[in-house]
Amino acid sequence: MGVEADMEYGSIDREIYVDASPEVVFEVVSRPEHLREWWPDDATLGDPAAGSTGELTFGGHGNESGIVVPMTVVESVPPRLFSFRWAYDPGLAPDPSNSFLVTLELIPSGPGTTLRLTETGFREQGWEVAVLEAAYQDHAESWDRFLPQLAEYVTRLVSAP
Amino acid sequence: MLDLLLAAGPGTATSLSEQLPVTRQAVAKHLLVLDQAGLVHGTTAGRERRYQVDQAQLARAVAQLASVGASWDARLQRIKRIAEAIQRERDAERDA
Repeated sequence: MGVEADMEYGSIDREIYVDASPEVVFEVVSRPEHLREWWPDDATLGDPAAGSTGELTFGGHGNESGIVVPMTVVESVPPRLFSFRWAYDPGLAPDPSNSFLVTLELIPSGPGTTLRLTETGFREQGWEVAVLEAAYQDHAESWDRFLPQLAEYVTRLVSAP
Repeated sequence: MLDLLLAAGPGTATSLSEQLPVTRQAVAKHLLVLDQAGLVHGTTAGRERRYQVDQAQLARAVAQLASVGASWDARLQRIKRIAEAIQRERDAERDA
C-alpha cells in the first residue's frame, strides 16, 4: 500500500477489503439510507449520478441544531467509482476552492471488493479544516452511539421479508 | 520536494529543479503553493526566493491528516460491516 497521507499534495489514501460484491459496496457508499449509517447523522441525496446534490447533517440531537453541509456527486460509474465533493460552508456550492473531494474506487478482488478511498483538498482548505473534518463524527462517544444502531440496523435488514 | 528540503536544507527553485525531473518553472509554481499552505517559507536571497520547511506547520499538518485518516479508517470499517451484512442476507435469500 502506498503512502497513507501525502503532505505535499494534501491528500489521504486508504484501502480496505470487503467480503461483498462491488454492486453491494457501491450501494452502501452511494445511497443516503446507508450513508447515514456509516458517516453523517443524516443524509439526503438524489440518484448517484454526476451532478446530483445532497446534504449531510451532523449533530442535531435534542435541542442542539445540526450542521448541514452540501455534497455534490462528481462521478458515478456503478459499480466501480463514486466521487463527490463536500463543503463546510452551507451557503456555497462545492468546488475545488472550497471543498474536499472524496473518491471511492471499487476493485473486484476474488469474491469481494477492494475499496480504495482518496480524500484531497487539505492543502487548499488549510490544515485546521482537517481537524474539523475529523470532528464531524468519530469521537469515542459517537462510535458508542453508532454501534447499537448498527446492530439494530443489521437485524432489521436480515429480518426484512 | 518536501523530502528534499527536509534532507538538504533550504533551496531555491533552481537548486531544487536540478535534483528533480521537472522544469524550474514547475518547481517555482509548486513552491508557491506549498508556501500558501504554510508548509514552507520563502525569503528573498539574491535573485531567487529561498525556501525552507516550516517544521512546526509540517508537524501540525501531519498530525491533522493522521486524524482525518483515522476517521476514514473508522468509516471504512463501518462500510465493510454494513456491506458484508447485506451480502450475507442476499446470499441467504438466494440459497433459501
